[in-house]
Amino acid sequence: MSRLRNNKLFVLGIILVSMVVGLCAVSFFYLPHDPNVMNTKERLLSPSVEYLLGTDQFGRDILSRIMVSSRYALFIGLVSVSIGAAIGLFIGAIAATSKGIIQGLLMRMIDGLMAFPGILLAMMLVAVLGEGLWNAVLAIGIFMIPVFARLSYSLVLDQKDELYIKAAQSYGTSRTRIIFKHLLPTIMPRIITQFSASIGNAILIESSLSFLGLGVQPPDASWGLMLSESRQYTLTYPFLSVPPGIILVITVLGFNLIGDAVNDSMVKRRAAA
Amino acid sequence: MLNFIIQRLLSGIGVLFFISIITFVVLMWIPGNPALLSLGTDATPEKVEALKESMGLHVPWYEQYINWLIGFLSGDWGTSYVFGEEILILITQRLPVTLSLAALSLTIAIPFAVMFGVISALYQNKWIDYMARSLMQLGDAVPQFWLALLFLVFFAAGYGWFPVAGFTPMEEGFWVSVHSILLPSIVLAIGQVGPLIRIIRSSMLSSLEQDYMLMTRVNGLSRTRAIGKYALRGAIIAPLTIVGMQLAGILGGAVLVESIFALPGIGRLLLMAVEQRDLILLQGVVFFITSAVVIVNIITDILYRLVNPMIRFGGNHE
Amino acid sequence: MKHFKITLFVAMLVVFLVACGGEEETGSEPNESSSNPTGDEETGDSSEMNSEKTELNMALSVDPDGLDPHRTTAASTFQITNNIYDTLVKVTPDGEFEEGLAESWETSDDGLTITFTLRDGVVFHNGREMTAEDVKYSFERLKGEESPRAGDFANIVEINVIDEKTVEFVTEELNVALLSNFAYPWTAIVPEEASNDLRNNPVGTGPFKLEEWIPQQHLVLVKNEDYYDPAHLEKVTFKMMPDATSQVSALQAGELDVIGLTGDLVGQFEGNDQFTILENQANSIQLMAMNLENEALSDVRVRQAIDLAVDKQALIEAVWWGYGEEIGSHYPPILKEYVDTNDTITYDPERAKELLAEAGYAEGLELDMYLPASYQAYVDAGQVIADELSKVGITANIEIVEWATWLSDVYTNRQYDLTVVGHTGRLDPYVLLSRYHTESGENYFNYSNERVDEILTLVQKERDEDVRVALYQEMQEILAEEVPALYIQSPTILMVTASDVAGFKTYPIDIYEMKDVYFTN
Repeated sequence: MSRLRNNKLFVLGIILVSMVVGLCAVSFFYLPHDPNVMNTKERLLSPSVEYLLGTDQFGRDILSRIMVSSRYALFIGLVSVSIGAAIGLFIGAIAATSKGIIQGLLMRMIDGLMAFPGILLAMMLVAVLGEGLWNAVLAIGIFMIPVFARLSYSLVLDQKDELYIKAAQSYGTSRTRIIFKHLLPTIMPRIITQFSASIGNAILIESSLSFLGLGVQPPDASWGLMLSESRQYTLTYPFLSVPPGIILVITVLGFNLIGDAVNDSMVKRRAAA
Repeated sequence: MLNFIIQRLLSGIGVLFFISIITFVVLMWIPGNPALLSLGTDATPEKVEALKESMGLHVPWYEQYINWLIGFLSGDWGTSYVFGEEILILITQRLPVTLSLAALSLTIAIPFAVMFGVISALYQNKWIDYMARSLMQLGDAVPQFWLALLFLVFFAAGYGWFPVAGFTPMEEGFWVSVHSILLPSIVLAIGQVGPLIRIIRSSMLSSLEQDYMLMTRVNGLSRTRAIGKYALRGAIIAPLTIVGMQLAGILGGAVLVESIFALPGIGRLLLMAVEQRDLILLQGVVFFITSAVVIVNIITDILYRLVNPMIRFGGNHE
Repeated sequence: MKHFKITLFVAMLVVFLVACGGEEETGSEPNESSSNPTGDEETGDSSEMNSEKTELNMALSVDPDGLDPHRTTAASTFQITNNIYDTLVKVTPDGEFEEGLAESWETSDDGLTITFTLRDGVVFHNGREMTAEDVKYSFERLKGEESPRAGDFANIVEINVIDEKTVEFVTEELNVALLSNFAYPWTAIVPEEASNDLRNNPVGTGPFKLEEWIPQQHLVLVKNEDYYDPAHLEKVTFKMMPDATSQVSALQAGELDVIGLTGDLVGQFEGNDQFTILENQANSIQLMAMNLENEALSDVRVRQAIDLAVDKQALIEAVWWGYGEEIGSHYPPILKEYVDTNDTITYDPERAKELLAEAGYAEGLELDMYLPASYQAYVDAGQVIADELSKVGITANIEIVEWATWLSDVYTNRQYDLTVVGHTGRLDPYVLLSRYHTESGENYFNYSNERVDEILTLVQKERDEDVRVALYQEMQEILAEEVPALYIQSPTILMVTASDVAGFKTYPIDIYEMKDVYFTN
């Protein structure tokens, strides 16, 4: 852990994420303006004391909307990755501890899901499920499954032949028990690393979906949606596309830095061991 | 080796079969249909039913799937409702745009990635390493659609350095064509640089620690020559095969970037197919893209095996 | 009987003559503006035709849905095919009918039969002369099973070729607006030998021929030298540019000559004498439909409360930047049967709350609002309306759906409470209003009113024009009172051209007529 603390990029990541989490926390107690109330007489204003980041095309306060959006971003990031991790872990573990047909079938399925580039899979799922917050969470969650399934598959495969597992098997311990009691605790650190690294990606996908109008629904705000709405005003008021983009970069960067640093330290620890 | 190739091909076919069924079933569930879109606000339930029947949309999904599969295998991928053109022709029309985009973005991304990856591995944990890694992280974190939007606003619309939209084909001159896709290629390249630097840096690091590097030093080779001659080569083979895997990332990025820059490529065709509920086109394009990814992955795996027979599959590449 | 007239609302053609100092184009103030009441005469000091410059570039947001006029209902198709094909009758910018492929026509005394005499010497793009057989074939194709418009022409029961240049149409029931049926761009005359692939290889008799179409890239038309009223332009290129920003930049860079525009972007061109802004009232309306299947919305007081709660002027200002005309009923002001119903219900949120309380919704009301994603203006309007409704205690839960989903779930299956959409008018007002008939398949409001049903039956048979106009006006007043929808506005169509473009006219149907367009010196 001390190694982590000395990693400057890790510290930067923590600072960035804390900023966003702080912004989110504050939004529950204080907002400069109501983020959804329109005032079309004061639209597209430049930043001022009254509106620190200016107003959007309906005269809504951009800062307040960015603050409220942070709730959705963090929520979608955490929940969708949790869904992906849980299902992926399950599939990976089953595949690794089974033989023949089931293993082959499960891994081909995972390969198949992985072959869908970028947001294509999430887009198709939203088209079927319908637009909206929960469906976006579900779609991103499904999108996250293969990464976790593959990781847990290879981790479990590595552990399977270790002595302590063999020993447990020789006592006649059931497969479920072995998975939950022995395998999971050993592979959990690596899964958690992947978890933190995936949150940034999930938030990016959410913003892409919202940009296409498939994520969070108006009048509620989401950074991707704000960027999508800013598209119409790129010529008349280009500033509109700046604040949501920057906060989005800060958030994703923060989570990625943390994930990377944790991953690095894990690799080193393993190398040292 | 032959066994491995056959095994890899068979599992590839299994994956593709799975993908084709999944996409078909998923697409069948999407609400809305081409008959309805064709009628627009003139639609009445009777008119929709009549038109659906004349379009062949009233048969059950498994029958449609079997018809599609038979057609597909015999080289007839069906006809798009929106364009009234054979899907294979539509895809081949648009492929050059997306391929040029992918090629140009990799041409931009690879030199940068190699430079930064190698330098940051050589000076690990020095300031230049931190800088390279921060850049790589930044490239990872910036949403491509936002970058595309900003570039469009400032460099194309604002300063007029680039055309705002559209693609000039190669026939009208190589440089004109490159110029027309330079901006979107840079956007895609920025998305590619991050993962590439990461892979090059880590494979460079591990190859620096290899025994043969020690041997070359023992044999009296200078550090620079040793790096140039052995470590770099060892470090670059891995990323080159991984460029293949980046294909999925480029194609995914192309969906948004092509539509923002109005480039007539595969990505925009795909979005169009989703919006217009042109399911047969969507099925064709999705299957084409995923097949490309699967096939490239198989080739990559085989190449990897050839380059490094000791590699064990199933593990991760770190 | 020959015409029912549509008076085109004063088509404003505003020219800003700018005191332009050298390179400085944007900084200067407009010091003079002139407007032209008809929109068909041009601007600028030199209206002399430039015979050197004959190639025009125009931006389109979407590709046409194929170029077969009998196999689609997409406006994007007819905007282009109107230049490739020709119709028997044509419509003028102010809604009069004039000769097209037909030189003259005659209606029988009972109004059931109409006979056309065809123009001499008209040839298809493939070189073959057009005859009465082609007219018969084209209408049979339009009535065919694969044609989405078949239902609209079911009333035509017989098509008889009298001789090579004469063709007769027999209808089953009296329709006083029969002639308009031969002026729509989907009634184009096509040659049978080319009919298999009109979608990609159109063959017509129109002023332009298709040279090349690369979807999502461009579509090129070249002049048809054999046309009886030849075009001024040699070549028209439509460039597909989905993004408005790209269109504006390309026009400013000189890559384009004509683009369509949204209100927020007008400022980019105002006061710049290099461009001409064209403003025209559209033959269409935009509204927020309410589903009367919903228990709350079936109560007229709730619907009126919703109407009272929305400040339409502010809404038009917010969403369309003021470019649109407020309406109180389902009727665009440019049509002559229009009656002003804006005062029937006016903005009064206090009264709205009272009405809601009377109806038993003092505690509030929750409704689902579906907005079509592909229409940014409707999405924006929905949000502004939802914001206004929240002030009187109505919560509108917005869901943005793709157009295909909207058509299936909202429009056809009528699963919605509120939705914002637009309806385009035709040459015959009946088509615009018939959706309010209880039995109509297009009545997605689930609205039912006996008098309205009765009016809709009467107007089709009424041969006295004054009586007919009165009936249409009565119906507008009923709708304004009962508000099955919140009627918002009739939009203004905004276009910008380079200042040397002239002859660009707008029509009461959604077409571009490129043959009259030319460049000035």
